[in-house]
Amino acid sequence: MSDDADKRWQESTTALGERSAYKKVWDLQAQDPDVASLAVAGHTDEAKLDLTARGFIDMIQPLVGVGANDVVLEIGCGIARVGKVMSRECLHWFGADISGGMLRHAAGRLRDCKNTTLVELSTVGLQEFPRDAFDLVYCTIVFMHLFEWDRYRYVEEAYRVLRPGGHCYFDNFPLDSVHGWNVFMAGTRYPLNRRPAHLSMSSTREELSVYLRKAGFEDVRVHDLPNELIAATGRKPLV
Amino acid sequence: MNATPEDPNARLAALQDELEAVKKREAQFRANMVQEFLDKGERNLYVHTLHEERVALRRRQQESFADLEILIRKLEAEGERSALLEAELSRVGRSLSWRMTAPLRAIGRMLAPSSQPPTMARIMDRLPVEGGVFTYYLHTSPFRIYRESSFTLSGWAWPQDGRAITAIRVNLSGRTFIGRTGIEEPEVIARYGAQANNPKPGFEITFETPPGRHALSLEAQIDGGEWLWVVKTAIWCEPKGA
Repeated sequence: MSDDADKRWQESTTALGERSAYKKVWDLQAQDPDVASLAVAGHTDEAKLDLTARGFIDMIQPLVGVGANDVVLEIGCGIARVGKVMSRECLHWFGADISGGMLRHAAGRLRDCKNTTLVELSTVGLQEFPRDAFDLVYCTIVFMHLFEWDRYRYVEEAYRVLRPGGHCYFDNFPLDSVHGWNVFMAGTRYPLNRRPAHLSMSSTREELSVYLRKAGFEDVRVHDLPNELIAATGRKPLV
Repeated sequence: MNATPEDPNARLAALQDELEAVKKREAQFRANMVQEFLDKGERNLYVHTLHEERVALRRRQQESFADLEILIRKLEAEGERSALLEAELSRVGRSLSWRMTAPLRAIGRMLAPSSQPPTMARIMDRLPVEGGVFTYYLHTSPFRIYRESSFTLSGWAWPQDGRAITAIRVNLSGRTFIGRTGIEEPEVIARYGAQANNPKPGFEITFETPPGRHALSLEAQIDGGEWLWVVKTAIWCEPKGA
């Protein structure tokens, strides 16, 4: 990581009041690959990016299953940290993100991954995608940066674009874990007027579970993950 | 070993393979469907965004080329007019009547009242401004034919000696228009590094563009004191329909 990447990242942040302006907030943090990587993963080490992506896939495999014939969509794919590795596990990987800036870096990282497609979302939602298309829709390390209404919007949209029988996965950090509490306390240390728009906000198990049930998913489960995140999974009912 | 139709395990395996093949074809169909949907819709596709950016840039480039061509023709015409005027002036200066009435013209100039009392601000505005050495870029190029009644010049700048720009203005043939400074330019800072005295080097100035030819000077005030020009050029204003 270049020495000043962290400083440039801090300078690229916007105020909390602009949290809903996701495109602006995340485009600003996508100025260069190092800043973008810091913003989405907290580090700039390419090998570590692959390693954590591998860990994520191994973790969700028993929860939702990822098959070689699966058509997969990642919501908020950023620089394709997970997508680069996930694309080797499935038939075709689609990465959607509201930040075109992040997708520019993702495109560079996916240069050799032919079974991938990047899509810039025009706003919150998955209006760019047709219904009943995907076997798996997942969204990781994204909900903490969204307002609750927008979290639910993506759950609703995941339901629409999944094929009947397809699975979804959404995660966030809870307050009742060491990691979650540390993230929360880090947030409290910002002066009131300096809280950044991307400030991480937690979810509860109940919240995630309600989103999925209200959206229509069945077999809804909430998991306590080894990395101290919580995740909700569900299945779109067969017609 | 080849399986016989009677072997139930082999039949099961064959069926399994067939099922997998069908699943794969069905998944491929869905992946293609999504691609076609994206291609058809195109409106928000990342590639489409880049495509639109390229088209917009080409359009701007073509407009600039067209304006440059007109500008060059105007320069040629002005050059010819200037040569004719110089010849005429030379002829008048050599005439006897002009030389004989010279004292009367001098008295007339001395007695002519000033149309407006000079104010300190007006005097300061009209003082000739020295040129400075700046690192700058203009987002809205001043090298154009001005078609509207006003124009907003925007860009970023800082003096190469590192001093602070405290104000910015356009001087248009003696009329000054004060602009706004302190606009963030994160991409510029990312490229050139932090500017201690100009952390937000962006600016914008809106000025009127009355019909005709004008001398435009973009000027910056340094450390709250002297004004230095950043760029100077002659401009032509031709409102639409004129």
